[in-house]
Amino acid sequence: MSSNIPWWSSETFWKKTAIWVTGFMFLVLIALTVDTLPQISVGSERVPAYSVINKHISYEFNDERNFQVPVIGGDDPLFGKMLSEEEAEALVTHGKKITQGRNCMGCHTLLGNGSYFAPDLTKAWLDPAWSSEGEREQMMIDFLMHPQDNARSFGSGRTMPDLNISEEEARAVIAFLKWMSSIDTNGFPYSFTVIDKEG
Amino acid sequence: MSLAHLNGGQQLAVKYYIVAVVLFVAQILFGLLSGIQYLEPDFLQGLLNFNITRTVHINAMIVWMLYGFIGSVYWLLEEESETEIVGLKLGNLGFWVLTSAVTVVVLVFLFIQTGPGDDFTRWFINEGREYIEAPRWADIGIVICMLIFFYNVAATFSKGKWSGIAGVLTLDLVALAGIYLAGMFYTTNISVDQYWWWWVIHLWVEATWEVLVGCLMAWGLMKTLGVSRKIVTTWLYIEVALMFGSGILGIGHHYFWIGTPEYWFSIGGLFSALEPVPLVAMVVHAVYDSGVRHSKGNNNPALAWLIAHAFGNFFGAGVWGFMHTLPQINLFTHGTQWSASHGHLAFFGAYATIIIAMFYIAAQYVRGQSSFGPATLGSGWKWKWALGLLNLGVVGMTVALLISGYEQSFIERAVGGSTWMGYFAAQIHPWFIQGMEWRMVFGLVTTAGIVLLVWDLLTIGKSRVVEQSRVTQTVS
Amino acid sequence: MIEPVELKDFFIVFFSGAMIIMSGALYALLFAWSRLQSKPWMMATAYGSYGILFISVLTLGSAAHLNGFWWWLVIAMLVGYLLAPHGIWKLCVGTHTADENAYPPVSAEETDNSETSLKSNSQKEAI
Ligand code: HEM
Ligand code: HEM
Ligand SMILES: [Fe+2]
Repeated sequence: MSSNIPWWSSETFWKKTAIWVTGFMFLVLIALTVDTLPQISVGSERVPAYSVINKHISYEFNDERNFQVPVIGGDDPLFGKMLSEEEAEALVTHGKKITQGRNCMGCHTLLGNGSYFAPDLTKAWLDPAWSSEGEREQMMIDFLMHPQDNARSFGSGRTMPDLNISEEEARAVIAFLKWMSSIDTNGFPYSFTVIDKEG
Repeated sequence: MSLAHLNGGQQLAVKYYIVAVVLFVAQILFGLLSGIQYLEPDFLQGLLNFNITRTVHINAMIVWMLYGFIGSVYWLLEEESETEIVGLKLGNLGFWVLTSAVTVVVLVFLFIQTGPGDDFTRWFINEGREYIEAPRWADIGIVICMLIFFYNVAATFSKGKWSGIAGVLTLDLVALAGIYLAGMFYTTNISVDQYWWWWVIHLWVEATWEVLVGCLMAWGLMKTLGVSRKIVTTWLYIEVALMFGSGILGIGHHYFWIGTPEYWFSIGGLFSALEPVPLVAMVVHAVYDSGVRHSKGNNNPALAWLIAHAFGNFFGAGVWGFMHTLPQINLFTHGTQWSASHGHLAFFGAYATIIIAMFYIAAQYVRGQSSFGPATLGSGWKWKWALGLLNLGVVGMTVALLISGYEQSFIERAVGGSTWMGYFAAQIHPWFIQGMEWRMVFGLVTTAGIVLLVWDLLTIGKSRVVEQSRVTQTVS
Repeated sequence: MIEPVELKDFFIVFFSGAMIIMSGALYALLFAWSRLQSKPWMMATAYGSYGILFISVLTLGSAAHLNGFWWWLVIAMLVGYLLAPHGIWKLCVGTHTADENAYPPVSAEETDNSETSLKSNSQKEAI
């Protein structure tokens, strides 16, 4: 009876195949995860240490890799204050938690993931919308604290709601954004225009 | 509605289905609100900001689909295992705990909305990560309810009979629940955060959910078309092999731009390009089946929705997915209305459809009808119009979003240099605004469809029962 | 290493991408249909669909700069899609013949049973 079932279309053959394929693919994914995680740990080449917020960050075209990559420059402390590694980590962590608590991802994308109602925040720190590097920090604080009064929505009428962000919270969020802009995202976003050094 | 003639698992299933429908309606309502806010930014601003309406929209979707899946498994559990469900009381308890938890989460989303940047917010208000915004306490509650569900399924099959479908289903549920754990931790490192976040999202919708609906489809083909068990089981294994073979490493298409190394370009591009293959195989097999044995289905609405599922899955996941999956183009479409276009067609086409088919299969039994054909349903205009309007509505929205997304990838990404100004240049472009307007038009079509669907589910096959009982009464 | 698509080629990439999957499915469908209904002329349309697929893959390959490593993806799609319908068809036949020899009438009986039990249920309730 079952002798005329070709082996390659029998139930048992496909049962075994399903198990082996699934197991194999899962193991490969685990192996790749083990390889990837150290490469994206904080302090690695691709994801810099939190103290990178003490440095100047830019985003420049790299001929070898054929896209823009973050370039970490000399000292340029955030809000003029050099932080230790621990202080920087605490500040960035507070900032990240605020972005989750206020559900920023409900309107914005971060690293391109989230919602499409408002601009991507991956390189928000480097955005020319903040006039120039000199004015940037204060403009960002003002915007986050009073987004309605400082709306810059280029004729779309879409404004960011007031999320009751205090000055201290705004500083933490900005620290998080500055740190995020230093992550090597393989050239995303593409052909990004970086903020001017001077106004 | 008397459910006494249903078996225990089926009675439990009906409860899950009812909540699923309620949440489906909520999903659509909040989708409408989000859509309106694109056109009228001041609408509800300060009261229900876009991030709130959208969060409720997509969370209601995830939760109603999970309810639909749990209900469907409970529905077929006793028949498939050929024994009574092991923990009916426990199952009921799980249902009420889960439903209360969902209610509290939604109320907190709507009335507390957000919180300060501390651990309390993440534990009790909002986690702020797309699709899994539910606070941590609810995550834990969900896991406990899933464990109860899993115990019921595994223990019932063990007591009764294991089949191929039962085996795949049970292992798939382990994977589905296990993967959820990958989203239940906090890290400041946003690259690592999103790495694991995609395990939940991608490995759910492109691996474990696909296999789960594969089990439902196998069971449904056996029941509605009378395909033999051996065939559906073999094909279920084939599907698992192809689906997991491509989908697990296909996760790489989300690892292009989040900080992860460049080798993910090749892995993600190659394996996600393979993901449409099982979908093609399934369509062909379905045609083969219906050609070999002339279908004599006895539930027309369910059959129609199963066909919608086959096509929806193929187009939404296969065609729309492939169009933007290669890194060379995803660089421009990543995080634009393109993703929204694909997300709508894929979630509706692959999952909403098959759960609706399961609703109709249940409705037939609940109303005690031997068939859901012209003899019992008359013209059936309600289910036909619901089917037509819902599919037309979602396809229309998908196309509208596609046009906006195309324009956005052009103006914002390629020309505008992806800056804040580039973003808004794309948002005020006429193509974009017209896309958003048409999305609303087709959103209303979708809404009309769901109104009819709910009305139909509440009434389908009822009047005939009344007539029948009158007849029997007079006779006796 | 990837070379991003150029602005002017966006549409071509989306369109050829969609065409690949759709003509791939159409080819598989017509292939199965032709065999199922023993209509050899339909096989010509099946291979016609494959022809469309072939062109679409090459178009996508040039517009999305699928060179170097990525050329393997082009090859894989050309060969894979050509052979897949044969494999799927073989599997359909294989799984079904196996079944029909083993126990052909199963399904009809099963459905009938469930229908009668349902009827008796509804009657019970009504009375
Ligand atoms: C009246 C009908 C609907 C309207 C007006 C609507 C509107 C919306 C809006 C405005 C968004 C936010 C997109 C953004 O961030 O810019 C959204 C997201 C989403 N909706 Fe809907 N929606 C509707 C129905 C549906 C249906 C039926 C489904 C699936 C079954 C669905 C699934 C989704 C998904 C998955 C997302 C997230 C997409 C992503 O992040 O890429 N929606 N919807
Ligand atoms: C039924 C199955 C599927 C569902 C429900 C689904 C749903 C989704 C959703 C909702 C998103 C947006 C995620 C977000 O909010 O950021 C997404 C993204 C994506 N999907 Fe799918 N998908 C499915 C299958 C597929 C398949 C088979 C492919 C490839 C062939 C694919 C390719 C992609 C890609 C490349 C993205 C990333 C978009 C971006 O970069 O923004 N999907 N999917
Ligand atoms: Fe995916």
